[in-house]
Amino acid sequence: MLEINKLKTTIGDAEILKGLSLKVNAGEVHAIMGPNGSGKSTLAQVIAGHDDYIATDGTVQYDGQNLLELTPEERAREGVFLGFQYPVEIPGVNNAYLLKAAINAKRRHEGQSEVDAFEFLQLAREKMKNLDMDPSLLNRGVNEGFSGGEKKRNEILQMVMLEPRLAILDETDSGLDIDALKAVAKGINAMRSPDRAIIVITHYQRLLDYVEPDFVHVLSEGRIIRSGDKTLAQQLEDKGYDWVREAASA
Amino acid sequence: MIAIAHELLEAAVARMPEDALTPARKAALAHFATSGFPAVRDEDWKYTNLRHAVELSNAWLGNEVVASRESNMTAAAEQAVKAITESIDAYWIIVANGIATVDAMPDANDLQSNGISITKLSQNGNVAAMIADDPMTSFNAALLQDGLQVRVHPSADPSKPLAFMFVDEATQSDLSQARLIIDVGVGAMIDIIEAHVSIGPDAQFANTVIQLDVADSARVGFVRIQERADSHIQVGKLIADLHGDAYFDYASFDFGGSLIRNDVAINIMEPGASVNLNGLYLAAGKQHIDNHTRVDHRVGPSQSREEYRGILGGDSQCVFNGKAIVHKGADGTDAEQSNHNLLLSETAEIDTKPELEIYAEDVKCAHGATVGQLERSALFYLRSRGLDRDEAVQLLTRAFAARILTASPIAEVHAYIGQKTDQRLDALIHGNAQ
Repeated sequence: MLEINKLKTTIGDAEILKGLSLKVNAGEVHAIMGPNGSGKSTLAQVIAGHDDYIATDGTVQYDGQNLLELTPEERAREGVFLGFQYPVEIPGVNNAYLLKAAINAKRRHEGQSEVDAFEFLQLAREKMKNLDMDPSLLNRGVNEGFSGGEKKRNEILQMVMLEPRLAILDETDSGLDIDALKAVAKGINAMRSPDRAIIVITHYQRLLDYVEPDFVHVLSEGRIIRSGDKTLAQQLEDKGYDWVREAASA
Repeated sequence: MIAIAHELLEAAVARMPEDALTPARKAALAHFATSGFPAVRDEDWKYTNLRHAVELSNAWLGNEVVASRESNMTAAAEQAVKAITESIDAYWIIVANGIATVDAMPDANDLQSNGISITKLSQNGNVAAMIADDPMTSFNAALLQDGLQVRVHPSADPSKPLAFMFVDEATQSDLSQARLIIDVGVGAMIDIIEAHVSIGPDAQFANTVIQLDVADSARVGFVRIQERADSHIQVGKLIADLHGDAYFDYASFDFGGSLIRNDVAINIMEPGASVNLNGLYLAAGKQHIDNHTRVDHRVGPSQSREEYRGILGGDSQCVFNGKAIVHKGADGTDAEQSNHNLLLSETAEIDTKPELEIYAEDVKCAHGATVGQLERSALFYLRSRGLDRDEAVQLLTRAFAARILTASPIAEVHAYIGQKTDQRLDALIHGNAQ
């Protein structure tokens, strides 16, 4: 589904990704771990299409098309979803309005009619209940005055409503207490399906106790230096990133 | 700066029919003669050049038009007027080319039973109260054919807003003067709307003065909606004197015009008065919109709050100047001003200056201004959810304007100004304004 080949990416004058390769198939859950500054968020942003990040070399194929040629909105409509590490507060833009506009943008792209207002509300309320979200958050400005946990749950709500084919969750677990972490994990697990791929970017092993990955990759200095199964995450937790780095350079 | 042709102006004033306004016109003419039109060397007019207004005035004076007592609108003008009057439920009074069309007045008995009486200024008005102490108000008074005197009776609480439609049509008159004198009685509660439209491809210049006297404990909600045509100039001034515990809640919306200058001058005359000023200006193309406000806190305790917001595209130029003056002894004054601007193009320009002059001891004052572009992170966030760029820009600009839209004190205008804002933003974003 997603095939990244020797991708190099710069922001400003700095090269962050230095030849990263990654292959993700439908039905798989991948965890990308790595220390701060290793390029995890850059990878997420470049897949979603943020224009501050310039791909200088390499390719990104999504379902056989060149993903880098698509605008951010085209990527979203094609089923790419990024759960932001820092969801943006947008006062004055209604949360429910954005959610509905996002769903309708995708439906129009797929040649479907717009979502029925009543059905939309019913579905949103049901999904919010599953995520232990206060239903009044739907009528607030997007992320406006939300707590850290509410913002992350709101990202998961958008994901489950939009039903993407490729979801990238950028440090969705950071700053969450255990209840919020469990609620978010429940939302992610509910998304697991044979025709969907999920990439979980995380700094800690904690989330992976609840969302079991098929593959774990270690990102360091803009490259994946080691890949393995879920036991790699546990090893990292026990031995630290230096252990992989030393092993990789040896 | 080209000057006004003074002999022609004098002749025009002399040509006007003898009536109750005659002495005031002559006095105003004498006052105007000492200053002439404001020039860009005047600090208050630094960014707004009235050269075209002077040219138009000279052309009009040269045509030796004889003042008419009635003004008829063409079908096109009537249609433009109806677009607003049929959308906003109010007692509408049409002032066409500066002249109130008496035939189109709301039923006098209905007004009377709501505590409002309206007469021509020349017939039963307080002519002595007519302010003509600066260039534009004295130019207005010198050439004023007639104005309206509005009296809102003490404790009146009309069921609908009282609304004035200033409509100008270049084919009929390329220069017009209009004036309202509104006295709001003790304890009255009233909503007032000032709306502007104009018709015709030719240039025109309208000069409007509104005087308000708000008596003790009266409350006035006031909304200005300006949607003049893109080749037309308007200069307007609103002067409001607030007495003890009076409350004045104002919102201004600029959607149109080629060159617009709107002055709001608030005088806090007695303790306990408070004023809330809000403004939104949406400028595209080559529009020039200048909002000047001045609040004189002559006594305390008193309160003023002000927030203006602007969204500018194309080559537009806007000016904001908000001045609060806290006079000596006006202790207990609480004044706050802010101005925020969103620039959607690289060639748009805003000159903003919130000003405080404080001569009292015990005061609480704050002011601030911002000029920025759309937040890139918010734009990307919306696009990453599938909204296309234009839709995301529209949402974010609308959100920026929302604070002023919701601050409008008159419920009857909400739907209309919301819809108008969407239309203007759409034109602004897609670069095909008007």
